Amino acid sequence: MPKVTVDGAEIEVPAGATVLQACEAAGKEIPRFCYHERLSIAGNCRMCLVEVKPGPPKPQASCALPATDGQEIRTDSEMVKKAREGVMEFLLINHPLDCPICDQGGECDLQDQSVAYGRGASRYDENKRAVTEKYMGPLIKTVMTRCIHCTRCVRFSEEIAGVDEIGALYRGENMQITTYLERAAQHELSANVIDLCPVGALTSRPYAFEARPWELKKTLSIDVSDAVGSNVRVDSRGREVLRILPRVNDDVNEEWLSDKARYQVDGLTRRRLDKVWIRNKAGKLESANWSEAFSIIAKAKPGSSIAAIAGDLVDCETMFAAKQLVNALGSDLLEGRQTGLDYDVSNLAAVNFNSTFAGIETADVILIVGSQVRWEAPLVNVRLRKAVKNGAKVFVIGPEWETTYPATFLGNDLGILNDLPADLVSSFEKAERPAIVLGGAGLAKGALAPLIGLANKFRLARDGWNGFNVLHMAASRMGGLMLGYKQSAGIKDIIAAHPKVLLALGADEVDFSAFEGSLKVYIGHHGDNGAHAADIILPAAAYTEKDGTYVNTEGRVQYAEKAIFAPGDAREDWTIIRALADTLGVSIGFDSFAELQATMIAEVPALGEEGLVDYGALPSGGGNASGVIEAYPIKDFYMTNPIARASETMQRCSAELLQAGQFAEAAE
Amino acid sequence: MGILSKIFTWWDGGTIGTLINSALTGEQVGTDAQGNRYFRSKKPGPLGRERRWVLYNGINDSSRVPAEWHGWLHGAFDDVPESHLPPPKIWEVEYTPNATGTPQAYRPQGALERGGKRAAATGDYEAWAPDS
Repeated sequence: MPKVTVDGAEIEVPAGATVLQACEAAGKEIPRFCYHERLSIAGNCRMCLVEVKPGPPKPQASCALPATDGQEIRTDSEMVKKAREGVMEFLLINHPLDCPICDQGGECDLQDQSVAYGRGASRYDENKRAVTEKYMGPLIKTVMTRCIHCTRCVRFSEEIAGVDEIGALYRGENMQITTYLERAAQHELSANVIDLCPVGALTSRPYAFEARPWELKKTLSIDVSDAVGSNVRVDSRGREVLRILPRVNDDVNEEWLSDKARYQVDGLTRRRLDKVWIRNKAGKLESANWSEAFSIIAKAKPGSSIAAIAGDLVDCETMFAAKQLVNALGSDLLEGRQTGLDYDVSNLAAVNFNSTFAGIETADVILIVGSQVRWEAPLVNVRLRKAVKNGAKVFVIGPEWETTYPATFLGNDLGILNDLPADLVSSFEKAERPAIVLGGAGLAKGALAPLIGLANKFRLARDGWNGFNVLHMAASRMGGLMLGYKQSAGIKDIIAAHPKVLLALGADEVDFSAFEGSLKVYIGHHGDNGAHAADIILPAAAYTEKDGTYVNTEGRVQYAEKAIFAPGDAREDWTIIRALADTLGVSIGFDSFAELQATMIAEVPALGEEGLVDYGALPSGGGNASGVIEAYPIKDFYMTNPIARASETMQRCSAELLQAGQFAEAAE
Repeated sequence: MGILSKIFTWWDGGTIGTLINSALTGEQVGTDAQGNRYFRSKKPGPLGRERRWVLYNGINDSSRVPAEWHGWLHGAFDDVPESHLPPPKIWEVEYTPNATGTPQAYRPQGALERGGKRAAATGDYEAWAPDS
């Protein structure tokens, strides 16, 4: 552990730390552009210059200089001040003075640092360099004249995303950042380069000229577009969410966010349910008011013949409120697995991502069964790539998909699980931290029990390590399972029970034709499949419009806050269910959101504590696997939920990035 | 205009009181193209300045004062416009009557009289309808 002196104060830093990290540890702010904690060190912006003794008598780039014992570092000397002013002046030589029309204005590193460390006036009289515009797809807007060549975006796509898409052409002052042949950036994390860009060269295209950062209200929330539960910040103005940005949480999303989570926001203002609709005798939906809708539900006299199906985006409170209502009426028909999955959920440890996202980085052999991780959870794919970079081997059973790391595909036939290939067996036996990742396509083919058998055979759960992982795709899945949204035969049980009234809580992936005789009440926020099939539509709030608890696929309980109000006549889901309980003449035990949460936590204590839920040990399993995985459940990454389907940005991404790509491939 | 309407209305030209006051205390300095008559007080007012006013020929609407007389009326200059100002330029447009209160009145974008359609603003959303 080297001891260094920073501005006269002695400090001990971990071995391998850089001078920049040592200065940070000593509480000194070092300006920087190219250095980023999660990317490799480039050392090309020169903004982090400090004075270091012993060493050459000139300022040194602290980000690329290892801290060694006895170093004397100064960050406040005249030399450092002059060096920073000089670097800043050089950077500003070619940087346009267009801050008033730049979307980065107000949250721009260059702006902030030129105020803090710059000279205050320019001495440069020549013309500034101009750079031709680049096209980077429907999400990233480029103004490349503003680029200061920090290469963060290049390093991100190479190192984190794992696709060589962004690169640099030419050299020196003439360097230009571009995508290969100016194609759109085609991966699921592309928009993270917007956050990384310290200037306004890469900005958000859908958010262009929408707002300034200081007029936005920031609300901490949880993303629902997949089961990762990324921590996000919802930026809203008035009654509209304008953008969503990631929040740092090293256990979940580090500081990245998938494009879908980030850009489905404009879906929140389209196809919204803002009034009550009732299907009339002719089979047409007519707008109505709440009391009419409630009286129709009361007239149906459900008694105990009522069921609830939870959608993919709902929070635990909504599911719990509906559960209380259904239970109070004497029914137990609750289900959340909309597409008919019926895996065994008697022990939740068997359907959890037990190794945690941070843990899977340390795995050394990973077997993926029936999961297109890149689409089902892009941020887990980032973790898998990190594991591979640390030396892990990856095997995949299922149709081939484009991995961002070397992986061995073992075919589509699940029968291979009964007779694993020798190299997989030997690496599993040698591995210290072996892991299995089971996805939706594998669950659908009944691979859960055989895989638990394998997990027990290869001791995937050992001291301080549990490598058995199930990767869900719905933000509500683990919460729903914890709250009892599980039937032994899945949704088939509910179909077989022929409920008189079916409550669909934002359920849009269900095949409603199976519920011919039921009064289908859709409580949701978007006019999607569920609304089209429903007999009564009660408008509710989307995830940005209500407080809520979400449990991600690793069993992590997280709370989201309400950013804005729901549009029109829409109400928060729990209030609708509470009013419905009055109409149906039952008591469900709460009158306020706080009471609802308290009741829920009393029933499922794990939901009361933020963080990982302990589901206990893996159950025993076994049996033979059979079946062929023909396809993965996600057909189109950008169109997986009602919000994304309503979003114009997501539609454009789907058309431009996926379908156009397929056409191009077909032509080749 | 009959004497009765002069007594009972106030919106056409001066009322009787104003007319008498103008005749007694004021002196007419000029008339503009619309026939509005301009007056100034014979004696200075309480603040030591002469007072200036206009009697409209027709509807009392201050927008009917042409630009040149407006300047005189507000004390911007003392000479009466006929002798003081250069002749009107060719690009000067004719007076347009004030349309307030008439169907030709200006309606801002989004006003119901103009179709009620306004530019998109924050918080707008597109509601779902069953046939969409």
